[in-house]
Amino acid sequence: MPIYIEGVALEISFADARRNLSELIFDTVRASVDDSGREMGEIDSVVLAAHDLVDGRSLSSMVSAPAAGAYLRDEIRFSDDGAAAFAAAMTRLEAGDNQRSIVAAWGRSSEHDPDAFSRALFDPCMTRPLGLDEFMLSAMRAQLCLGGDGVPEAHERAVTRRGDAAGRNPRALQAGGFTSAPHFPLAAGDMPLWADITVSMVLSTQPTAIRVAGMGQSSEPYLFGDRPLRTIRSLSEAADRALTEAGVPGSAVDVAEVDGLTLIDEALGLEAVGLAAPGEGMLRLADDPRANPSGGGASGYSRPTMGLLRIAEAVLQLRGQAGPVQLDGVRTALASGSSTVAGQTQTVIVLEAA
Amino acid sequence: MTDTTELITIPGNWNFDYTYFAGEAASRFFAALKESQQIMGARCPSCQRVLVPARSFCDACFKRTTDWVPVGPEGTLETFTIITAAFPGLPKPPVVIAYVTLDGADTALVNMVNGLDLTDIGAAAAKLQGQPRVRVKFVDEPEGRITDISFELTPAG
Amino acid sequence: MKSRMAVVGVGQTSYKRAHTELSSADMIWEAAEKALDDAAMDISAIDAIVMGVAPDALAGENGVEKTAIFGAGKPYVRVNTGGVTGSSAAFAGASYVGSGRAKVALVISLERMGQATTSQQVFNTIFDPVYEKDFPLTTITMAALRASMLMRVYGYRERDWAEIASRNYRSALKNPLAHIHKDLSPEDILESPMLAWPIHRFEACPMSEGACALVLAEENSVGDRNPAWLQGMASTSDAYAMGDRFHRPEGSLVDLLSLRRSAERAYADAGVTDARKDIDAVELYTAFSSAEAMTYPALGFCEPEDGPRFLQEQFTDLSLPAFNPSGGPQAANPVSATAMVRIAEAALQVRGMAGERQVPDVRRAVATGQGGATQFSTVCVLGTERPE
Repeated sequence: MPIYIEGVALEISFADARRNLSELIFDTVRASVDDSGREMGEIDSVVLAAHDLVDGRSLSSMVSAPAAGAYLRDEIRFSDDGAAAFAAAMTRLEAGDNQRSIVAAWGRSSEHDPDAFSRALFDPCMTRPLGLDEFMLSAMRAQLCLGGDGVPEAHERAVTRRGDAAGRNPRALQAGGFTSAPHFPLAAGDMPLWADITVSMVLSTQPTAIRVAGMGQSSEPYLFGDRPLRTIRSLSEAADRALTEAGVPGSAVDVAEVDGLTLIDEALGLEAVGLAAPGEGMLRLADDPRANPSGGGASGYSRPTMGLLRIAEAVLQLRGQAGPVQLDGVRTALASGSSTVAGQTQTVIVLEAA
Repeated sequence: MTDTTELITIPGNWNFDYTYFAGEAASRFFAALKESQQIMGARCPSCQRVLVPARSFCDACFKRTTDWVPVGPEGTLETFTIITAAFPGLPKPPVVIAYVTLDGADTALVNMVNGLDLTDIGAAAAKLQGQPRVRVKFVDEPEGRITDISFELTPAG
Repeated sequence: MKSRMAVVGVGQTSYKRAHTELSSADMIWEAAEKALDDAAMDISAIDAIVMGVAPDALAGENGVEKTAIFGAGKPYVRVNTGGVTGSSAAFAGASYVGSGRAKVALVISLERMGQATTSQQVFNTIFDPVYEKDFPLTTITMAALRASMLMRVYGYRERDWAEIASRNYRSALKNPLAHIHKDLSPEDILESPMLAWPIHRFEACPMSEGACALVLAEENSVGDRNPAWLQGMASTSDAYAMGDRFHRPEGSLVDLLSLRRSAERAYADAGVTDARKDIDAVELYTAFSSAEAMTYPALGFCEPEDGPRFLQEQFTDLSLPAFNPSGGPQAANPVSATAMVRIAEAALQVRGMAGERQVPDVRRAVATGQGGATQFSTVCVLGTERPE
């Protein structure tokens, strides 16, 4: 049963004291429902991605779910990546359990400490005592992958290209935000721009211009040392599943919005989804306009919105509504979302202009 | 694992700091408490309910609220409990908290109820079960926080 | 609910204050392994895994569910809906199966609060930092506010809360997995210290750790296993603020609207028309004994004003459903898992695998879940008959 995207809205801001978290969520969810042209009475499901430690309270969905339209509806919250929530919403509609669903994710980097959040992901026995955070894992990966021929030059170009895209993307954060201190060999240009992000979509089984052609998910072991380090295996597997379902090879998509905590992860992500050959992800990120035209993590980043934001940018590309970063002739798009810890689980969505 | 393996525990600390943005609506609600000793509700244009504390949207109708109206200063106590056990970080027992629907409001507001004789818990409970009329009491120097107000029984209540 | 699926495996650790010999990953493994063994399946037969873990602060481990990924390479997502996490996770697994993307799903929930030294303070952070943090709003006072209202509106007495609690503890004596094994009479309970009027200490739930897992299989994957068919599942979320639930026409604070709505939908799917006759056992998510009173009318057992009488009938009329044969959350409340444990126990009852706590001739059982200040409610109907 095909799933269609009826409405989309997103907002990237920072420390807007005029609105509390619920109000920020309401504004974006309301906007996505308005964009869909549907009434609230036609919506019977709300699927959320939000995290207590980002929101600053346990069971934060008590106060935030109603702001996302959950009143007297079938609502569920995932403390997982936004693209995973999108996938879960798909299963509800495909199962016939619900007819039309809001999918929303949010995170306000201005209210919490993203580095403290990351450190707390590490188990108290083996890894937390070392003060590890996910950027360190990304840095260790970078160390392995940045030494190839031509890669350092490509890396510089990729950083520049990413910054330019974020500058031209009207949805990107233009003022405010902050970045975490980079660990060698990461540099400032590799880091995500922490921002306040809300993103929301309306999905249903009623045909619209945007169809979900494929969805795939996969996972990897918890300990980083248990995983292959030069590749993101879970992302390869997830992409394989999604692209097979869509009947499209990774290299043939018109746009790929690939989530990664750092620019290095985005580059490796391009290899994993098949848009770049092994070892060529950085070149691709530097030179291929199809790769993260939104500016990726440089346009604004917050856990756990990640993948849902990438899907939203892909939707805008398909609709021709991406503005100054719009590509020509976009008919298929791939978007991915990675979870903690350091991309341990991945969700890939393939979309088509119907 | 053998019986002689010593089981290790690792101490830890979970301290996260947050800055919560109260937002314009809550800030305006608190300003009204502080500056004009008024408790404000906001009306939903769809269901017409006056929501207290005043807020920027109605979650039931999923619409933005419109007018702000003052409610109270008296109201009816809906339900209560008398806290008799001590909890870390909370006021020393016995204390009474209750939901009160202020006159003009369609939702109830929670706060402490002061001035009750709590030497006999059962008797106090019986009195509160009668849904007495209460009124809002302001602290002498309001700060613009919810703790500026509390409830007390009206002389009639 | 359109597709047909069944619980074919149940796994539970025991429930106690702290599993000092187990890491969080160990606990997840233990429940999962038991469920897979019960289902006579290998991890390779699983197509999707849904984890349910509620507040990370109770475990002190952010993303604790990530520590135990097994059979890597499968879709793996984590649900957090507070108290109702266990059933939300089960329902999310059922959606994967219903969508056809999984033939068999493994759903697991973990509660690790034994690692917390200040769990009550963690629970207190569920309240609004702007309007509520300064008040003694806790999970206990939330329940007390309702209990006093139930007494005023429907005539329940303090003793009723004690009788429900006593029934729960005595049932738990037959459940080897339960945390609390104490033969407490209503008098014992009324003599326990008062926490917040009218709730006494032994009418509240313990802080328990544990993990629970279920294997859900679509009908063609059930084979000759012993199934508890999922006949109806529904979930409803209510307004956040308790103050918003007093005066609305849909239902007051004690009408448990979200549970009533979920029951209506789940019963419709399951073909339940007369709850008293059609249901043989009920596993309720009631962390406080007084909360049970709100479930009677919401679940269709009686009119609200007849609640006190229905309670007394439970003790004399054996044709009525058995309530909390496992002892319920009063005997073990591993918060993240509790709602899944209700489904697990209901499934065991339907499959005739509940050991000493087995209720005779269970054809249909209901499991409920609650989260927040009864903001989130789920109802799951399981039975021996495969749905049409």
